[in-house]
Amino acid sequence: MLGRTAQNLFWMSRYVERAENMARLLEVGYRMSLTSRREGGASEHLVSMLQAAEMDEAFAERHDVADVDTVAHFMMFDPANPSSVYSCLQAARTNARSVRTALTTDMWESMNGAWLEFSQIKPRDVRGAKLLGLLQWVRQRSHEFRGALLGTILRDDGFAFLQAGNFVERADNTARILDMKYYVLLPRSSLVGGEIDIQQWTLILRAASAHRAYGHVYHDRYKAHNIADFLILRPEMPRSLVYCARFVQQNLDLLAKIYGRREACQDAIDDLLRLVEGTDMDKIFAHGLHEFLNDFIDRNNRVTDALSVSYNFY
Amino acid sequence: MGETTPFDEMYNADGSVREPYRALSEWLAEQPDKGLALMQTDAEAIFRKLGITFAVYGSEEGTEKVIPFDVIPRIIAAQEWRKLSRGIEQRVKALNAFLYDVYHRQEILKAGRIPEKLILNNAAFCPQMMGLEPARGVYAHIIGVDIVRVGPDEFYVLEDNLRTPSGVSYMLEDREAMMMLAPDLFQRSKVAPVETYPENLRRTLQSVAPAGAGSNPVIAVLTPGIYNSAYFEHSFLADQMGAALCEGHDLFVDGGKVYMRTTTGPERVDVIYRRIDDDYLDPLTFRPDSMLGVPGVFDAYRAGNVTLVNAPGTGIADDKAVYTYVPEIIEFYLGEKALLNNVPTYNCTDEDQRGWVLDNIGDLVVKEVHGSGGYGMMVGPTSTKAQHEEFKKKILARPDNYIVQPTLSLSTCPTHIDGTVAPRHVDLRPYVLVGDEVRITPGGLTRVALKQGSLVVNSSQGGGTKDTWVLED
Amino acid sequence: MRIGIEHKLRVTLPPGTGQAVLHLLLTPPSGQSQTVESWSVEAPGIGNAGRLIDGFGNTAHLVNQTKPEGEELLIRVRGTVTTRDTHGVLGRPPGEPMPALYRRLTEATRSEPDFVEAYRGRSVSRLDLLHGLMADVRSNLAHNEPVPTQMQADGGQVQRQGGAEAAEPPSAAEHVHLFIAAARALNIPARFVAGYRLGEDADGGCLHAWAEALDDGLGWIGFDPQAVMCPTDAYVRLATGLDAQTATVLRIVPQSAVTEEVTLTRHD
Repeated sequence: MLGRTAQNLFWMSRYVERAENMARLLEVGYRMSLTSRREGGASEHLVSMLQAAEMDEAFAERHDVADVDTVAHFMMFDPANPSSVYSCLQAARTNARSVRTALTTDMWESMNGAWLEFSQIKPRDVRGAKLLGLLQWVRQRSHEFRGALLGTILRDDGFAFLQAGNFVERADNTARILDMKYYVLLPRSSLVGGEIDIQQWTLILRAASAHRAYGHVYHDRYKAHNIADFLILRPEMPRSLVYCARFVQQNLDLLAKIYGRREACQDAIDDLLRLVEGTDMDKIFAHGLHEFLNDFIDRNNRVTDALSVSYNFY
Repeated sequence: MGETTPFDEMYNADGSVREPYRALSEWLAEQPDKGLALMQTDAEAIFRKLGITFAVYGSEEGTEKVIPFDVIPRIIAAQEWRKLSRGIEQRVKALNAFLYDVYHRQEILKAGRIPEKLILNNAAFCPQMMGLEPARGVYAHIIGVDIVRVGPDEFYVLEDNLRTPSGVSYMLEDREAMMMLAPDLFQRSKVAPVETYPENLRRTLQSVAPAGAGSNPVIAVLTPGIYNSAYFEHSFLADQMGAALCEGHDLFVDGGKVYMRTTTGPERVDVIYRRIDDDYLDPLTFRPDSMLGVPGVFDAYRAGNVTLVNAPGTGIADDKAVYTYVPEIIEFYLGEKALLNNVPTYNCTDEDQRGWVLDNIGDLVVKEVHGSGGYGMMVGPTSTKAQHEEFKKKILARPDNYIVQPTLSLSTCPTHIDGTVAPRHVDLRPYVLVGDEVRITPGGLTRVALKQGSLVVNSSQGGGTKDTWVLED
Repeated sequence: MRIGIEHKLRVTLPPGTGQAVLHLLLTPPSGQSQTVESWSVEAPGIGNAGRLIDGFGNTAHLVNQTKPEGEELLIRVRGTVTTRDTHGVLGRPPGEPMPALYRRLTEATRSEPDFVEAYRGRSVSRLDLLHGLMADVRSNLAHNEPVPTQMQADGGQVQRQGGAEAAEPPSAAEHVHLFIAAARALNIPARFVAGYRLGEDADGGCLHAWAEALDDGLGWIGFDPQAVMCPTDAYVRLATGLDAQTATVLRIVPQSAVTEEVTLTRHD
């Protein structure tokens, strides 16, 4: 397989996942802005959501006011925003076109169809209830693509690059959401569980599609410690850091097996896993949650770097 | 010629149906109201979903469009095809012999059969090709011959395409779509298959691998990338052949050999089916500013370590000015009369001919010598007086830059237009592969001018395509 | 005459070059005017180079350097050539392309000099005509040339590529292009030669350019329009082409600055 093909597969998968995460994040921000009871609350939620997506500065350059319309447009449709759903789907589809021969027809049709439909949408038609519908549509197209992938592609090197991309991106996303709100998760002496905290926690859990699963796992009310544990260390939670890292490791191991050789990237993923395995939340809090998350994000980036060197991305 | 009724491939002058179209005619009669329109809608959905698009340069609404597909196939009888394919085979053999000669001993120039300056001073002539021995002596491996029909037994070759002819993916996808849309029509006819093209292409390419390539030569398709108008075709053909689809930076030379950059390191490439023009192929030998090509690939080719398909410099054989000499070329190398006619072509550098051309410009077709895709072209009978005057001026300013031909009355085929069936002008581009043997895919790409009366079939100018059926006996 | 040649080319690659690809025309042919006694081309990666004959009959090396160490590549060419004074006459060596090829007009040889008019329809011998052209080229370019003929002497450094600036005297290549344009305008095959020329004081020398034109009887004959003479045994032929571009002794991707140092030594 061409190094460029591997690179395109990896990034295509990352962009699909990113588009989904953007939609999920925007949905959370939108919902919270609807239910916020405080004056100016809507704007605050939207801004903190932009921060979680690391888009707040770019947004401020283009808009004075953060309201549902401006934020939704910026996150969904703005081609100047490289992480907007529009940009992500376009980038995913451009990568897909470059490697059409490495995709199954089902995958290509799913990817191509998603882009063609999305690019036909006129932003001014998407308001209110229609926005929620479109956000769900983005998630569904991401699921559809993943389904086409899982259902049709050969379990070869291409598969491993696709899966690795998906989960490297997901790990990054979960880590960033946590890092944005790490202070509301810190153990504090005062009784926690005030209204504002609960709203913040809901934001975190919803952004990871984890608010219902939380109940099933912990049978308890929202607690900061549990939420952090859930999204960092729970191996059964498919967006937790440990789950994502293990998943990437499995796929890089698959590559080592296919190519008959271990490379720098397998070491890099092992290094990432060492951070999240054999530890617990108490240790992480003792070390510093923020420092921990930054370390995770760095090591996760190094996996991508090592991957590009190991397999001749260029 | 504009006055006469064009030859219709389905109906005789008396309204009776020509034999090859009998099954189609019956089938058309059976289609319910709106049946064709529904089929048309389905067809468009199929093409868009598969991503079969082409780019229109300079178009404002994004870069990709679906080429219009007409749901009524164009039909050629077995014996008509036999005659055509014999003529085509003769032509491609002679043109390859011509290419070998002009890049070696230049006997045809010494014999004075073609003016030396026309070849040696031609921009399409590639001096760097001199003396090179291509595998099996073949220069143009993949050829599209543009043919028009004007009567029951009268075909003309409009031009030969020996550089990087495109459109073959439409031929294949049109067939695919047609089989999905009208399986019942196929059942009633014996249609020669076109699906063998990718396999034949692979065989052809492997057959011209360099001597040291081993028994299973590695093929790479070299594309300028996803923004090229024919990118879909590049990826389609690579996929169908199981070959790697490479951009310039995916390939590199080392030790005079060509390699792909793969996830496991360099992999040797034996044959490059390149869809990049000569000028951009290798910045070391051709345009130094090219970012699309592979530095050193031409030297690797000269060193005999890789085969380039088609060879650089094949354009000298399909140059519009050389076209006039093709009958001469066939006679010179094969000692045979040309089986397919050339369109009579007027030479504007000749004063007498030019005078006649200027007086009759309203009846003529003017083409730029180096133009393609229907650009830089004027069809007299369908153009305005102002356009006539404009082209007169152009011809006077640069007589060598234009060739002029009579307006041929292209044949018409039944075509689906807004729920009804109406005759529209068509041409035909059969695809020929030359390697260890000459392989001609039965049929080819039929392009149809969807505008009533229009003779311009190019997709960039509002043309569509049809599935092309060659019936078997 | 036996001439020892040492030619160094220093290539400065743009920073961060991932791969450099070089096309070398640095292997002189043996023929009527010269016999190559010994020759070596040293360059990073030369052991693995592709070797080929180009479209003009030159021996070429295709050298590549992946992830070159540092930004400088040194190419060192050394050898000994025995030369003979044939008054420029070379005959028709085998393995060369058809002479008609050299009637092709290229970008550098397209514009027709005015002085060729004088030769049209005149019945002079091909040889006299070519000598006439050579003199015409020289006088045509002389008025904007303040310094004497020799392009470079005594192993000085020559900065190649980038073309002559307005104030510079016309280069050897410009003389050759004008000569070739004139000959081709008169339908005479003419080609560009890159080679070495020994300095007048017997030691030292330079990379030089001259032309060759075809006489139906004698074959190819050399003309040095800058020096207004036919090549002698002080000349060593290296590469031929349609013009300077096709006979360039070193082409590189990515484009890089090159400095050269040529030392010729006369061994008697």
